Amino acid sequence: MLAAETQKVRSTIGATATEQPVVLSTHALTKRFKGVAAVDGLDLTVRRGDVFGFLGPNGAGKTTTIRMIMGLIYPTSGYAQILDHRMPDDRREALRHVSGFVEIPAFYLNMSARRNLRLFGSLDGRVDEARIDEVLEAVGLRERAGSKVGDYSHGMKQRLGIAHALLRDPELIVLDEPTSGLDPQGMKDVRELVRELGKRGTTVVLSSHLLHEIEQVCNRAVIINKGRVVIEGPVSELHPAHSAIKVLTDDQTKARLVIADMFGPKSVVLDEEYLVVESADGGVPEMARRLMAGGIGIEALIPAREQGLEDFFLGLTESSDVDASPSPVGAKGGSR
Amino acid sequence: MRLLRAELTKLVFQKRTYIGLGGLLVVPILLTVALSLSHRPGRNPSGFLTLATHNGMYVPLAAFAVLSTFLLPLLASMSGSHQLAGEAEQGTIKTWLTHPLNRGSVLMSKWGAAVIYIAVGLALVAAGGYVAGAIAFGLHDPLLISKTAIVGTSIAGGLWLTFLAYLYVLFFAMCVLALAMLISTFTDSSLTAAIGALVVVIVMTVLGSFSYFDFLKPYLFTNYGDGWQDLFTRPMVWTTIVKGIITFGAYTTVFTSAAWLRFRRKDILV
Repeated sequence: MLAAETQKVRSTIGATATEQPVVLSTHALTKRFKGVAAVDGLDLTVRRGDVFGFLGPNGAGKTTTIRMIMGLIYPTSGYAQILDHRMPDDRREALRHVSGFVEIPAFYLNMSARRNLRLFGSLDGRVDEARIDEVLEAVGLRERAGSKVGDYSHGMKQRLGIAHALLRDPELIVLDEPTSGLDPQGMKDVRELVRELGKRGTTVVLSSHLLHEIEQVCNRAVIINKGRVVIEGPVSELHPAHSAIKVLTDDQTKARLVIADMFGPKSVVLDEEYLVVESADGGVPEMARRLMAGGIGIEALIPAREQGLEDFFLGLTESSDVDASPSPVGAKGGSR
Repeated sequence: MRLLRAELTKLVFQKRTYIGLGGLLVVPILLTVALSLSHRPGRNPSGFLTLATHNGMYVPLAAFAVLSTFLLPLLASMSGSHQLAGEAEQGTIKTWLTHPLNRGSVLMSKWGAAVIYIAVGLALVAAGGYVAGAIAFGLHDPLLISKTAIVGTSIAGGLWLTFLAYLYVLFFAMCVLALAMLISTFTDSSLTAAIGALVVVIVMTVLGSFSYFDFLKPYLFTNYGDGWQDLFTRPMVWTTIVKGIITFGAYTTVFTSAAWLRFRRKDILV
């Protein structure tokens, strides 16, 4: 299986990721609703130990994809594969290795969290009370385990959803927008929890429409829009502004030559009045010295990383349906 | 089996489970109270109400007669739709289906739990009927309905015939239940499913009540709803009972298979 999968892995994927076996992949996964493609030939690869971000604006096809991965809906064409098991053909075997939730986790509201976990846990076989305690503890619901789920806040339900996903200790956990609708503290808690899972080696797929969320918790991510992959790769490579710096001088033409000489011609682009310099890690003081030595006056050096994330994301998803994407990472994505 | 256990656990923790069962238990009690107060039952085509005023053994049967035309189909369609469309409404169906289970097994366990629920409800009707009837009218060897002679049987014989009637009524309920399950696979609203099943029952009942549609009658399952009453006539005529069981069985099989075919490949979008 590995050999076939390796072939599919795109050149952008970091060298470290290729060593791990593939836990989840989708192959030309397509879902049409009344002729309209919600998911359109999606190819994804998630490897063991990944905390994989599944990013896209609302309506991009994230939830539809997750429904197909979880076997809740049937693809129009293509398939998802969990370890060796194809979804939907081998639905039951595939589901042994994945758990999670789609949209808002649903439980019996008139039963306590513990009884819900007992009931749903019993569907997989014997329920271990100690395991229930363990997962409730992990999501911080141990004290409230006896309360009816109907009395739970939205955030507590989300956390119970994660507890339920953890219960049978699957290879892969899929969480659909687990922080949506939460207050800032709730968001922080859930993100912390996902990071914790990642540290323990659980493979997690996490969907979100918030780029910074994916950045905080994931190591790899895919951005999708209109059911298609826009870009996939390690989170650190997802946007061009990473460790980029905006340079404004009194002679941009000359400055550009100097910088291109230092970091290579591809590492610098003119964006409006600024020169955006990529991969300048650690080279900024040296760059400033050289610019000044060349008689160029520096007016501003601005770290571009924090500034442009949402803009970048929006630009990426908006331009994804234009064939000749001007996006500087269009070539990197190479997935269209 | 563990799926069925989970289903029953769910029912045990639902308030409406007890509302439904309580409602059923009230039927024989109210009936007994009304009969003992008036001693003059009103519209009473089957004769069980009159018989009940003389012998508590007939109270469960009188309750079955009252239930089987409308209340029982109502309860069956509600419990069938709650079991499937109700789960879609709450979203819990997706929690079920993300477990490594056969969709067919999930459907059958929900179906099975609904059958058990109705079976328990009807047993409560019978038990409540016996208790209330014994208190109000006492239990005696029942007489059977005969035009030619007075035919009696023992209490044990009466119990046995009542048990057969119970099974027959349960079979009728299963048919409606299966219909509600089938409609539930097309909608995520339990109310729509329940009403849909009831509409079918009502349409069939109406069609069955006009002689113009007599040619349809053998195919309407509602036509056999009170067929169990033949168990208490002498000489006994099996035709209606046998036809009824065959019709219920056929409809139940068709509805359940169709529900399974639909549910197996259904996109769960809740």
